[in-house]
Amino acid sequence: MTQTVTRRRSAEEMAGDAPAWRGRLTSNPAARSTFYVAAFLTWLLLAALFERIPGPASVVDRLIEEFRRGEVFGNFADTFYRFSIGVALSVVAGILIGVLIGLSPMARAFLESPVMVGLSIPAIMWAFLTVMWFGFGHMSPIVTTFLTAVPFVILNVAQGVQGVSRDLRDMSSSYGIPLTRRVRDLVLPAVSGYVLAGVRFAVIMGWNGVLLAEWFGGSGGAGYRARYWYDANQFAGFAAWVVLFVGVIIVLDQLVFEKASRRAFRWRDQTH
Amino acid sequence: MAVLTVKDLCKTFGAGTARSNRVLDHISFDVRGQTFVSIVGPSGCGKSTLLNIISGVEDHTSGHISVTGDSGSPARLGYVFQDPRLLPWRSVRKNMLYVQDSADEAAGTRVDRYLDMVGLSKHGDFFPGQLSGGMQQRVGIARAFAVEPDLLIMDEPFSHLDAITARGLRAQLQEIWSHSKKTVVFVTHDVVEAVELSDRIIVLQPGGKIFEDIEIDLPRPRRQSDPAVATLQAEVLARLENMKALTPTVASAV
Repeated sequence: MTQTVTRRRSAEEMAGDAPAWRGRLTSNPAARSTFYVAAFLTWLLLAALFERIPGPASVVDRLIEEFRRGEVFGNFADTFYRFSIGVALSVVAGILIGVLIGLSPMARAFLESPVMVGLSIPAIMWAFLTVMWFGFGHMSPIVTTFLTAVPFVILNVAQGVQGVSRDLRDMSSSYGIPLTRRVRDLVLPAVSGYVLAGVRFAVIMGWNGVLLAEWFGGSGGAGYRARYWYDANQFAGFAAWVVLFVGVIIVLDQLVFEKASRRAFRWRDQTH
Repeated sequence: MAVLTVKDLCKTFGAGTARSNRVLDHISFDVRGQTFVSIVGPSGCGKSTLLNIISGVEDHTSGHISVTGDSGSPARLGYVFQDPRLLPWRSVRKNMLYVQDSADEAAGTRVDRYLDMVGLSKHGDFFPGQLSGGMQQRVGIARAFAVEPDLLIMDEPFSHLDAITARGLRAQLQEIWSHSKKTVVFVTHDVVEAVELSDRIIVLQPGGKIFEDIEIDLPRPRRQSDPAVATLQAEVLARLENMKALTPTVASAV
């Protein structure tokens, strides 16, 4: 069969043909908004069908009530304090250990197995263990956050370091660039994408970890408060806290990581 | 300028194993002063390995190699690779500063001067990805000259470029080199390029031995269209054909 080829139209011509509303409807923000609307409608539908699923109105009522009682800010302050320390420690330790594994075959041989073991242990196990080890208080959620998050940072950074271009390393050697400058100007920028991905994982996994630790052993905190409503068989209250958990992660991801990622990779967008 | 001394140099990959592969076999030569030496030979004859050993990126198996400045001090090296090898996240200017001594206060001025010499003074703040391949290679050349090396090593720097860009860069290289008085060791598989640029051509044969060391005594600047250059190119090519006949394992000499 032969194919007849007529004059091919340019992207500009085709874009000119399409009405403006079509461009808006097929944009990324439109896709994102569509998901949120679809999720909300599904929630409405499920709430209408099942008695044990609270609808948006009752969840919003409960949220307002929680804000009015002053429960939200105090508990979130506790959670963020624990979460921030745990994630910060995991990022620092993860980058150091990841760079070490990436640069040294001996360090890789020594540390690879413990990292894989760490990756395979779910956050809920760490939450149980740390409550047994440290009891109720700040220590248990901090350590759970750290232990849940650190293997993801290590793994990502190590992979990034191993992937640093051999050509660029040879170029640096041939010019006798000192190791500290090589790490600062070559290795770290080359792995920044992996570091960002690792920190992103660390935040998500760490958030799971801190909430679970508070759920099982917290004295205060967002996880503890969610459990309070769960134990009281008040599903609207429980769902209100779930909405807050999800909201925090979305805001962190969109406001912090998206912006950091765009800034770190602005050189990629500027190609010849 | 530098003094490069290579004596009985051998390089064997996988020495002592069943897959042992000798790529340089008792190589000896000296280069000193403002000399432009080209090393030519077929693919796999050890040209790039020799450059990597000179630059210290690779170790040699046996023999002796030394690179010193004129005064006997350790030589400063500049290296131009086949591809530009620029850090994509640093601007052109910052790429050039990356290889400079951070304590050198004159480095910035020098970088600007060489950027100007390769015609990229307005592109200092560009990222490498915003430049064409030829412009990136010019940055690579400017970077190497800007460290004010005693010895400049160039590994087929124009092989990835189109003919017109490569011709322009060769002319630019001759111009900069004539002012900067560097010792240059230049690897190429292109005999025409070697004759145009060099004072001396060292021909490596498969197995990593020196087949011939040829003096090129022609006035500069040279152009490929000059009859004397063309005649000498033909002569050197004939010698390489002779090498091909003597060493029948050579699939393609150039």
